[in-house]
Amino acid sequence: MSYKVTLRDFEGPFDLLVYLIENAQMSIYDIRISEITSQYLAYIRTMKALDFNVTSDFMVLAATLIDIKSRMILPRNNAAGEMIFEEDPRSELVERLLEYKKFRACADMLRDREEKMSYVFEKPQEDISEYLEQPDIYLSLDIDEFAKAFDLFLLKKKRVEEVSRHYTRIEREKASVESRMRYISNTFIKAYGRGVRRISFRELVPNAADRYDVVVSFVAVLQMMRDRYLDAEQNSLYGEITVLAGKRKMKEKPESEQQENDQIGI
Amino acid sequence: MIKSAFESMMFVWGEPLDVKTAADVLDISKEEAMECFLELKEEYEQESRGIVVRQINKSFQFSTKAENAEYVERLCTPVKVRRLSQSALEVLAIVAYRQPVTKGEIDAIRGIKCDRVIEGLLRKNLVCEKGRSEAVGRPILYGTTDDFLKNFGFTSLKDLPEITDIESVINAEDAEEEPYESDARQITMEEVGYGETEDTVSELRD
Repeated sequence: MSYKVTLRDFEGPFDLLVYLIENAQMSIYDIRISEITSQYLAYIRTMKALDFNVTSDFMVLAATLIDIKSRMILPRNNAAGEMIFEEDPRSELVERLLEYKKFRACADMLRDREEKMSYVFEKPQEDISEYLEQPDIYLSLDIDEFAKAFDLFLLKKKRVEEVSRHYTRIEREKASVESRMRYISNTFIKAYGRGVRRISFRELVPNAADRYDVVVSFVAVLQMMRDRYLDAEQNSLYGEITVLAGKRKMKEKPESEQQENDQIGI
Repeated sequence: MIKSAFESMMFVWGEPLDVKTAADVLDISKEEAMECFLELKEEYEQESRGIVVRQINKSFQFSTKAENAEYVERLCTPVKVRRLSQSALEVLAIVAYRQPVTKGEIDAIRGIKCDRVIEGLLRKNLVCEKGRSEAVGRPILYGTTDDFLKNFGFTSLKDLPEITDIESVINAEDAEEEPYESDARQITMEEVGYGETEDTVSELRD
């Protein structure tokens, strides 16, 4: 005969007792005390054998069960030999078990509520001390400089608008990085003739209004810097970029060559 | 407008905003403030907004609507509070329904000492001390806190369901379920790795 025992982490003696009663499919109002008591004691012995921590609380209930069992086995007779009808010795235990089950049901209800509330989110309190005490300085920029920059922006915008009012924009063929590199090296070679070795990045962009054009020039400069034809300086963040000649010499090439993939033999 | 001011205040406050604090800010009576908060709560409900005004005793708080949890979680990972253990929930249930209650009374119902569980609940601010009993030794009385109401979604203690209602539900469930199979907490001893289990048990039977 196989005998399999399952152990749960019981929350206390009542938890164990209720489990045993339910497991034996007994009515809580009619507990077969002797059966349950031996099962209960067997469990405690097993738990002890397995080094589970059996607290005194478990022993108290064990004693209560044994007491009830003995009272049920031995009918009390009075001196005349008549049986005394006293209250069912189990009734107090049943009451306590019912009370315990009642609160266990409440605990289940609370668990459900807790679960439901885990879908509700709240926000922590805002920290508004920043606004109340010292406001931080985010931009250390002179108001005049700021105004000037903004004016410049407005002016540019106005010019662009004026131009686009009178002319229709026709997209020309997009310049390639390779052709731009040729353009840049030619610009430098021409500047050498005049004794100029430093050129503002701005001057290397033929059409400054076109963002694409700016990017092409920028990439071309980067590539030429990597190949050590050019060098660049920038003294402040977002400041003017000055491009100067690098260690390698640049050779003139006709600008009209517009072959893709042609190696730039500068 | 008072309601509009309360709305802004609740938004910034985040945590439950006490009616008295809010009333003091606007220099109005508590009763008037309470009325405004309740109206605001009603308005949010009627418009079925994604933000809910929830009441916790005499304070109010913005929270999200539970139905939208899925979307919130898809957007970000909100911090989850660790769930309470079975023993913590049992003790909390007893405190909630029997308050003010002593440790001794809780022990008697559960048949086991609850000192450590109470300690944990105090630390989580779910229960608090509510004075002392007149009984021998003047033991400490415990009750639940506003945090308890908030975390379990109750407006006030009056909002707790009647025990008899809970019981009928539980009994109905019990009738259907097989306690042996459905109990997830069951651990067979083999799983835990006690090889000598079978022997021990058969010894006991002899």
